[in-house]
Amino acid sequence: MGSDDLSTGDKIQKGFQINYMILRDADTGKVIWQENKDFSAPDLEHEARVPVKILDMRAVSREINFSTIEAMENFRLDQKVLFKGRIMEEWFFEMGFVGANTTNTWQSTIEAAPESQMMPAKVLNGNVTIQTSFYDNETLITKSVVRLYYI
Amino acid sequence: MLSLVGLLSLLRKLRPNPEKEARILLLGLDNAGKTTILKQLASEDIETVTPTAGFNIKSVAADGFKLNVWDIGGQWKIRPYWKNYFANTDVLIYVIDCTDRSRLKETGSELFEMLMDNRLKKVPLLVFANKQDLPNAMTASEVAEALGLVQLEERTWEIRACTAVDGTGIKEGMDWVCKNMKK
Repeated sequence: MGSDDLSTGDKIQKGFQINYMILRDADTGKVIWQENKDFSAPDLEHEARVPVKILDMRAVSREINFSTIEAMENFRLDQKVLFKGRIMEEWFFEMGFVGANTTNTWQSTIEAAPESQMMPAKVLNGNVTIQTSFYDNETLITKSVVRLYYI
Repeated sequence: MLSLVGLLSLLRKLRPNPEKEARILLLGLDNAGKTTILKQLASEDIETVTPTAGFNIKSVAADGFKLNVWDIGGQWKIRPYWKNYFANTDVLIYVIDCTDRSRLKETGSELFEMLMDNRLKKVPLLVFANKQDLPNAMTASEVAEALGLVQLEERTWEIRACTAVDGTGIKEGMDWVCKNMKK
């Protein structure tokens, strides 16, 4: 089979790439953690070693930069923050149309509810993941998982 | 210092019964300063700003309310994409490079063409007359006159001078945005 036989979903998947992720202190805009690699590599969990002071911040913003070769009609994502597999935060975001050969960023900032800031670093350490799933309509394009370690 | 969380709380203060979600659209020609303004809104470092080959979105949530700011690239080849992002816009911010006299006509015609779109009907417009720090910059009133903004009918609009690189005028402009948001 030649590449012409690829389904639209496969083509989108092949041409999709996450370029970097950045965590920032939302109040000062300062970068806490940044990594430039393709987080969409399937089945691979990524590790982020972040300074423990991140837990004292009122809000942390999460930024994802991605590129797509194919245009998408109804691009959306679902970002979850999980503690031992339990959802602590979830954000659905619909971007709609995404042009062919574009590079785009999405940054989300949630002002955390005070009660979720109560857990100490040693409890959270290695037990928190940020999972972002990317879809075009109902087709899953890729999912990135980043596990947080507090140092 | 500007922050998106601060902007969201200002918005909620000024609109006692706001919708659950608000959408600000940031447009203008390439090199106008849209991404720099977006980054200033979050107090971020602007040294790394490069031409936007797509879009940048900042979403902020607090107490169940959400604000989404969309910055769409202004290069000629991606301008046809702008219309895909008009729907549900609550405020349009249009950024103009006041030193770019040679493209003043072009930026004006892009703006007026866009404003004819039904999806932007009655959407309040803030024009940022950017790059006021540069010696050859046109003033906000010169730009308003050259573009013919007074001809705008049935639209709440405002033009504000600003310098995106040092943040001058951004907060004042965003105060206007929050006060005049649709709905």
